[in-house]
Amino acid sequence: MIRSHFLNMAVFSLLVAVFFAFLTQSGARDRIKVIVILGGSMIVVSLIIAYVMYPFPLR
Amino acid sequence: MPDVPVVDPAPAAENSGRFVVPCLLAWLLPGLGHFYLGKRKRAVVFFCVVATAFVLGIGSDGAASLIDPRQPLSYLATFDNLAMGPLDLVSRQLTFHEMAYRLPGDESSPRQQELTRLLRDRVKSPTYEYGNTFLLTAGLMNILLILDAFDIATGRKDRAPA
Repeated sequence: MIRSHFLNMAVFSLLVAVFFAFLTQSGARDRIKVIVILGGSMIVVSLIIAYVMYPFPLR
Repeated sequence: MPDVPVVDPAPAAENSGRFVVPCLLAWLLPGLGHFYLGKRKRAVVFFCVVATAFVLGIGSDGAASLIDPRQPLSYLATFDNLAMGPLDLVSRQLTFHEMAYRLPGDESSPRQQELTRLLRDRVKSPTYEYGNTFLLTAGLMNILLILDAFDIATGRKDRAPA
């Protein structure tokens, strides 16, 4: 299936963002806002955490 | 004597039982409970999202969870898988080639060895972790959909079609 870690993360973030946008909002404008904010923040925060973890190898 | 608001028991009695059908439908197929309640557009989106997560999970070599008495979290993971309704049967069949829900617990049992071997085959896949995450997320989303259908059916959430 999808081998790219980033692509998997992006697809996962999009699915979760769309799900919560339709679960919690009723207007199209509000839903788009939630998709952008939630999906975007999931990706950005993951990248920040990955960057912070970079100097700390497992061994 | 101060005025005490009187709660009419009639609406509560009227609502009891109204949630059973939508919740059952939501469990049978993601989004079906919302479709039944008149939320057609939402239902289609929910079905697409949960089905996509499920298909990606299966396609990425995710595995259905088995109850292992030595691992308490395996109970939660198996419950989460069960929330997918009949789709869980598909993932179990693809993972174990049978409807297995629990490890026998006896290391020497041939069934335990076979189930463990099938599980290890999945774990060796480089996309196993992604697949498992998608599968578990699909189950969690369907649990939320069942609870949302309950809220709409009992009038706790808007009943207007959307």
